[in-house]
Amino acid sequence: MTATAHAGARIMPGSAAIAEAMIAAGCRFFAGYPMTPFTEVLETMAARLPDVGGVCVNAESELEAVGMAWGAAATGTPAATGSTGQGLSLMQESLAEIVYSRLPLVVLNMARAQGDYFQATRGGGHGDYRHLVLAPCGVPEAAELTQLAFHLAEKWRAPVLVMGDYYLAHTHQSVSVTPLDFGPLPPRDWALDGSTGGTGAAKLVSPLSDAKQRHAAGRADAGYDLAEFYHRHVAAMERMVTDEPPRHEAGFTDDAELVVIAYGTPGGYVRQAVRELRAEGRRIGWLRPITLVPFPSDVVAEAARRAGSVAVYENNQGQMLDDVRLAVLGSADVRFIGGLSLDPSGFGIAPDLDVALLKRRIADLHDAVTGRRRGPEPEPPHREHPRSRP
Amino acid sequence: MQREILWTGIGGQGVQLGTELLAHAALAEGRHAMFFGSYGGMMRGGNSETTLVLGDAPVESPPTVGSAWSALVLHPAHAAGPLARLRPDGVLVLNTTLCVAASDHPGPVVRIPATEIAAAAGSTNAVTMVALGAYAAATAVVRLDTLDAVLPDVLPPYRHRHLAVNRAALRAGHAAALPLVDAWAVEHTPEEAPV
Repeated sequence: MTATAHAGARIMPGSAAIAEAMIAAGCRFFAGYPMTPFTEVLETMAARLPDVGGVCVNAESELEAVGMAWGAAATGTPAATGSTGQGLSLMQESLAEIVYSRLPLVVLNMARAQGDYFQATRGGGHGDYRHLVLAPCGVPEAAELTQLAFHLAEKWRAPVLVMGDYYLAHTHQSVSVTPLDFGPLPPRDWALDGSTGGTGAAKLVSPLSDAKQRHAAGRADAGYDLAEFYHRHVAAMERMVTDEPPRHEAGFTDDAELVVIAYGTPGGYVRQAVRELRAEGRRIGWLRPITLVPFPSDVVAEAARRAGSVAVYENNQGQMLDDVRLAVLGSADVRFIGGLSLDPSGFGIAPDLDVALLKRRIADLHDAVTGRRRGPEPEPPHREHPRSRP
Repeated sequence: MQREILWTGIGGQGVQLGTELLAHAALAEGRHAMFFGSYGGMMRGGNSETTLVLGDAPVESPPTVGSAWSALVLHPAHAAGPLARLRPDGVLVLNTTLCVAASDHPGPVVRIPATEIAAAAGSTNAVTMVALGAYAAATAVVRLDTLDAVLPDVLPPYRHRHLAVNRAALRAGHAAALPLVDAWAVEHTPEEAPV
């Protein structure tokens, strides 16, 4: 990893590190519409892309932004767009179509809190589609995963979503962003470059494939078989989500009696809380999914089987919780210790993201699942949640 | 060793800029820095605050901290949250021009009429520089000459015509406070801190 945090590197906000990582990965087209905390990424791209011969467009809305990025991607230009979850809602139709068009595109969700897990992993668009989702924690990892997103998008010819948040955008850290080499990529022979596609007509990149065009051009062998196209398409998606290895980070899961699972920024708070609880002698582990699609189901299942009890923390009402339950399949007790937590700004700053508070919540659950009570007076139990029972 | 600094004020007072300057100065002195700024859609008058963590080693703590070694309060409007996270023995810098109520903080307090001093130095907009100068004098967390040296890197180019007034405010704040503690001399933990 060459995206590292060390003195001597430049100190910059996560939003700028993500922008610099996109440029280092070769991104030369970016479009978006301002919305905090995505605005800060857009501002940096607007300032930096012209320096490297790229184009950044402040579109008139998120609908146009994703359309512009789609067009740029179709020409083989490494492209990206993004917004917060609200803007991503507007982009869902296009995102589904871009998946069907088999085009590489990086999409940022600089989210407010974690309510967009379902939007990111299930999608709000139409049809039978999937795309990869990466969820960094901290500025150096965000700089690395943003570059990886461009590689994976090209590798699989599919959009890749990177989940950020206000904490990531507004945390300033020393980081050096240099181009990372993730290995060779297939040629961009699909890109629209004005040449023909061997049919006598121009190449076509479309959610309806080039079958219709080839049919119109009299190519009997091509036919006009949309069923065949969709079957090929879902097979490619299946290969992507089964062949691309899931990524995660974990600690102390070997002998843990309870494993706490969280992703993104809250994953860093949980990691710190569990480290401190370990130092106090509690056998607790932590696990942070880095790819949300594909979800690291195997390591979650193995950690859950060993520990017998799993806690899920999310700053929402319980969404990744479903993926944890699907991974565990009843082999361990799964409790939800999160819940939506927002300060008055509405930007996703969470009063619950407090290491001391999380320690109490996790320690209470640890006491409960191990049948122990420690100390003279038990802390008040974490607040009851309708989904806190397995 | 880590030193946490909470900084609170209202939009326009320079909380974000002051934090960035302190982080850059610490970096220039070979330390590590991480800070989180929250301000959003309130350029003028709304809540503006930061959490800064400086350390001898790379900072691994999450972006916000539950308890802090020090706090700078430029305006009382949104200070309750940060003050609740200041350790009892923590260093508090208070802008007494605007914070007129008595402080019940049990630890060391640097009382400084920062807005007045900034006005005398040339602009009330430089209040954050006065507070930072005073904080550096009281805690030795960074040297004044380092702050002075990195200021041009932190101040955006279109604000460089204000370099002189910002430097004057830094010096005036530094001169207005006495040394209280040496930030990097002794390891302080909440458990062993003097009451």
